Amino acid sequence: MNFPFGILAISGRWFLDFLAYLGELGALSGQLVESIKLGAIRGRLMLQQIVTIGYGSQAVVIVTGAFTGAVFTAQSYFKFKDFGIESSVGGIVSVSLCRELGPVLAGLMVTGRVGASMAAEIGTMKVSEQIDALRVMGAHPVDYLVLPRFLAMVISMPLLISECIAFGLGASFLVGTGIFNIPYAWYWKHVVDHTGLEDVGFGMIKGFVFGILIVLISCHQGLIANNGAVGVGLGTTRAVVYSSLALLVCNFFLTFFLNYFFPLGSAM
Amino acid sequence: MDAISYDKPFIRITGLKKSFGEQKTLQGVDLDIYHGETLVLIGPSGEGKSVLLKHIIGLLNPDDGKVELEGTDLSHMKERELLKMRRRMGYLFQNAALFDSLTVAENVAFPLLEAGIRDRKEINKRVQEALELVELGEHKDKMPVNLSGGMRKRVGIARAIIGKPDCVLYDEPTAGLDPIVTDVIDLMIQRLQKRFQVTSIVITHDMGSVFKIADRVAMLKNGVIYFIGTPDELKQSSDPEIQNFIAGRSGMCA
Repeated sequence: MNFPFGILAISGRWFLDFLAYLGELGALSGQLVESIKLGAIRGRLMLQQIVTIGYGSQAVVIVTGAFTGAVFTAQSYFKFKDFGIESSVGGIVSVSLCRELGPVLAGLMVTGRVGASMAAEIGTMKVSEQIDALRVMGAHPVDYLVLPRFLAMVISMPLLISECIAFGLGASFLVGTGIFNIPYAWYWKHVVDHTGLEDVGFGMIKGFVFGILIVLISCHQGLIANNGAVGVGLGTTRAVVYSSLALLVCNFFLTFFLNYFFPLGSAM
Repeated sequence: MDAISYDKPFIRITGLKKSFGEQKTLQGVDLDIYHGETLVLIGPSGEGKSVLLKHIIGLLNPDDGKVELEGTDLSHMKERELLKMRRRMGYLFQNAALFDSLTVAENVAFPLLEAGIRDRKEINKRVQEALELVELGEHKDKMPVNLSGGMRKRVGIARAIIGKPDCVLYDEPTAGLDPIVTDVIDLMIQRLQKRFQVTSIVITHDMGSVFKIADRVAMLKNGVIYFIGTPDELKQSSDPEIQNFIAGRSGMCA
């Protein structure tokens, strides 16, 4: 008798927990908006975060972009050669990098690197009462911790993604023309013919949205951390897992939404 | 003692209740704190002394009852309104809660920067004064992680008093400190009271400190104020529980 109801109860509980979680993220976003409205921007903290988030993430993002561009070029070349259209490799690689691979891979790398460190740092501050210390001394934790990270992220993410795309395309060019001997002019013509400013904009907008997701989810996990070192560890894991999943799911819907404004081909 | 005015309470706590899950920590605390007095809060560990202190500064919201600061109810205020009220108070955390990303001097300067003071010279001067008061003048460029527990606590005290607050809340200021530094801290609390009429609420387990600094003593037990009175009244109380607590007798046999 209990069997179907038990399943319903468990899935219902999950659903309610999920809604409660979305509510908490919504509340944090509300505080963030309030913080922006009040103009509580702390320039020095924001610059420090730009150095940590933006400047510090360059190496990972560049390597990710370059090797993805290189390997994608090789795989496309092997297949395209069967159809005799190997010179158009540049076009497909460049469009994919701008619209999907650049933003998603750079986003995932930044999640692992920056999201984890945000959750761990803020979480440690929470469990060692440093966040209460901020509040006692008249500093709002959202103004002091979340807003500088948010601003640094929305500034850095589009730039990191551009870098990822640029180095991906550079590596693709080297592999395509250097290893597979695609003529330089043909390669470049396909890149230019198939890639427009809207494709680059597509990637930038995605990066901007992903940046917001990573900051909100990771800072939230830090701010709710409790139960000492175990809690901080759990919060850090959750920050990375939730941010990555949110990023991938959001990417799907964002692709359809953005494709409405910047259509690719004539399919939609 | 002359500066204390007992006619109108500075902080008034009425019917304060707080539970954490099943655990009923505060079960109806009533307490008045007057301007310029040093009130020492004693009682067994885990009875909610720190929880009471956190309600006074608005870090925790009560389940029932209220905390008023000069007639303004803090218990239902929004966080951003509370931030302004809190600048009138200083708070020493039990574990000091120093920011580990900032140096000692930056930690101590924090309340001044938050209060909008930008004059570098003035900030440096006041930081130096506050650190010298707790005998840490030469450690200002160290990071908190490189300090001993007692030193961290003293930095916490310097940070709590640098903004010249009307009221300072100390959560075990002398726990883990050697007897000489304990005396220094006790004298400093007295000096702040005499010179600037600072109201102090001090949680301590050190009975020596209690009799040295307290104008009044409150004992928190079973979630309510079990005793309130002067140190002399505490000493002369006929209640065996109070006498055992003062003398540190557990009633157990070896």
